[in-house]
Amino acid sequence: MLTLAHFLTLGAILFCLGVAGIFVNRKNVIILLMCIELILLAVNMNFVAFSRFLGNLDGQVFVFFILTVAAAEAAIGLAILVVLFRNRKTINVAELDDLKG
Amino acid sequence: MNGSLLDSVNIGNWMLIAPELWVLTMTCVILFVDLYIKEERRGIIHLLGMITLIFAAIITLRGGYLEEGATQAFAFNDTFVRDRMGDVLKAFSYLVLAGVYTYAKFYMRQFSLFRSDFYTLSLEALLGIMLLISANNLVMVYLGLELLALASYALVAFDRGSQRASEAAMKYFVLGSMASGILLYGMSMIYGATGSLDLAEISTAAAAAGSGDIILLFGMVFLVVGIAFKLGVVPFHMWIPDVYHGAPAAVTLFIAAVPKMAAFAMAYRLLQSGLGGLHVDWMQMLAVLAVLSIMAGNLAAIAQTNIKRMLAYSTISHMGFVLLGMLPGTATGFGAAMYYVIVYSLMSAAAFGMVILLSHHGVEAEKLDDFKGLNRRNPWYAAIMAMVMFSMAGVPIFVGFFAKWLVIKAALDAGLMWLALLAVIFSVVGAFYYLRVVKLMYFDEPLAESSIEAPVDFRAAISINGILMIGLGIFSSALISVCMSSFT
Amino acid sequence: MPIIEITFYLFAAVLVGAAVMVISVRNPVYAALFLVLTFFSAAALWLLLEVEFLAIVLVLVYVGAVMVLFLFVVMMLDINLAPLKEGFIRYLPAAITVAVVMAVELMMVLWVRGKFGSEAFESPVPHPPDYNNTKEVGEWLYTQYMLPFEVAGIILLVAIIAAVALTLRRRPEAKRQDPARQVQVKRDDRIRMVKMKSETKVEE
Repeated sequence: MLTLAHFLTLGAILFCLGVAGIFVNRKNVIILLMCIELILLAVNMNFVAFSRFLGNLDGQVFVFFILTVAAAEAAIGLAILVVLFRNRKTINVAELDDLKG
Repeated sequence: MNGSLLDSVNIGNWMLIAPELWVLTMTCVILFVDLYIKEERRGIIHLLGMITLIFAAIITLRGGYLEEGATQAFAFNDTFVRDRMGDVLKAFSYLVLAGVYTYAKFYMRQFSLFRSDFYTLSLEALLGIMLLISANNLVMVYLGLELLALASYALVAFDRGSQRASEAAMKYFVLGSMASGILLYGMSMIYGATGSLDLAEISTAAAAAGSGDIILLFGMVFLVVGIAFKLGVVPFHMWIPDVYHGAPAAVTLFIAAVPKMAAFAMAYRLLQSGLGGLHVDWMQMLAVLAVLSIMAGNLAAIAQTNIKRMLAYSTISHMGFVLLGMLPGTATGFGAAMYYVIVYSLMSAAAFGMVILLSHHGVEAEKLDDFKGLNRRNPWYAAIMAMVMFSMAGVPIFVGFFAKWLVIKAALDAGLMWLALLAVIFSVVGAFYYLRVVKLMYFDEPLAESSIEAPVDFRAAISINGILMIGLGIFSSALISVCMSSFT
Repeated sequence: MPIIEITFYLFAAVLVGAAVMVISVRNPVYAALFLVLTFFSAAALWLLLEVEFLAIVLVLVYVGAVMVLFLFVVMMLDINLAPLKEGFIRYLPAAITVAVVMAVELMMVLWVRGKFGSEAFESPVPHPPDYNNTKEVGEWLYTQYMLPFEVAGIILLVAIIAAVALTLRRRPEAKRQDPARQVQVKRDDRIRMVKMKSETKVEE
């Protein structure tokens, strides 16, 4: 039988993969942005599962808002990426070293 | 709390969010006006921005929305709350933002960045700040926070041709989004444990469950990490120095001064209004964060030669003090923390205002050496900067002293002896780098002899801002009592 | 094992596998496509939970819009892929440690000490055939969460302003067409009658 823990575990695994992805992909900003999407998907998974198992619609509404904001966030993130690329001709995070001190 | 559509469009709801509606309307007006005016008449946009803030202050402070005996008023099925704390913080946000606009106009003219985007984006950020301050539901906390964050990311990258700014924006964006993700994960756990997104209902459920509920605790840990990221306290402070350094000084000024008040309000709403029942648990986490920030912030600031980075590390230590005030979880503690965060905003506005003032010919005065011999070049500006530095260091009779004193007193009252002691020791350590700036201004030879020129509104604003440092110190009781009475 | 569990494990396996690929492939285009697969599997799992509206929105918004935007940017920027993976092996042990430790802790909380096993939370009752998830979510959205709904609109406005403010640039050297002026062009603007002396025949 499927329990709440099944879905929460899946959410937890996704969350950890997202965080681990941010660790390994220090160089590639585009994949960093995708890792953030993975973290948000993990959160959405939790909310959806809680919402169904609690029998309460709040969680689903929250997921709706997270999806909206994530779309806006992706747009701004990619806009910043484009500006960065125009200025530096690279998206390699390791080469971003102007700011040290 | 089950509302029907008719409840939602009830006129009373709209009266309560009148300040937010006004700011939103004016943002759209500015957006449209900019389409139809010529480049040399951009001053109109600045004027419209100031008008927005003045009327927002009038609408907010008009009051009269509370019913007899109530301290809070709710709107939109309890997702939105108006109270005294929110009104005071919003009013100071307008005030500080008005200062930011005055300083920023001078900067943007010099660096040919005077575009209306700065005004629309910062007003959107202000809207996010207002909604965050008034949020009474996890959804509203998240949306307010994101509105503020998204506008801030864009503002940092505002100078499109600058490599440094776009790099700072990217770092800010990645770390900020990760922090939002962590915060959301915590919110999902809290939702699961309490079955609600409403802060009042969460509070009831949390008080009933107490520390025994491991899921609730788990959610709380993620929530505190998210808040720590947004406040920028150690060990979640990595973005602060880079963003402060990389962003154009006008944007640094905005990010340093205004959103901290919203971050404080968010921490209060989430931790006290929502998870007040878990006070023992979050207090321990905040204590560690506060100690680390006060120590690391002050020590790292000493090593800086760039004033923007130095002020960034000083911000980290100031946020540690704010957390120190929140630790006891008492009304006086929160009052002290609120007083601290307001005073901090005024101080950092003045400090970055001075950085902008000394910038000339398209070069930012970001080196500490740029302040050398300021007294020789202009004694009054040197005096303002000295007052700001004394205030940040916490020298008695300046306003920063009272802020530190109240926060430390709140910690002492709660029996946090060693914490208070550490805070005192490290504020003495911190005094070193603030006084170093004063020494540079008064005892060193100036690098440039050129006179410092600024438009009249800039001079007036920076003078008032500087005088506030000592004026609010001498007449400190009024603001303190306003802050204290917000939490009774 | 009943069919519903088999379905769950199938999609969950695809989901986790695709997510692992997202963070480990070298080429951002592949990563984006694996992310699409991740979202599809998640949508399938949500359908299993009878959360139909969000499942469809996830596919429409993420796969249809966000991932296309990602692909668009990846294609637009001419990225040199070679150096982007250099640090991968170096950070891999640290990342695996962090991920495994976090995952184990989360599992412990969820399974051992938590209350989310089958005993505390009953499986949700399946909805009756005439249940309309979209209607339910919609009604809740437009009543209880009306203010957040408006704020979400403002957030989209900020995204528009920010994206335009950051990336729109006027390049003076760029040559562009102005249709209005093209239409207004008259014959005389383009054709010039030149009087020339007629050529005389050259003597051979």
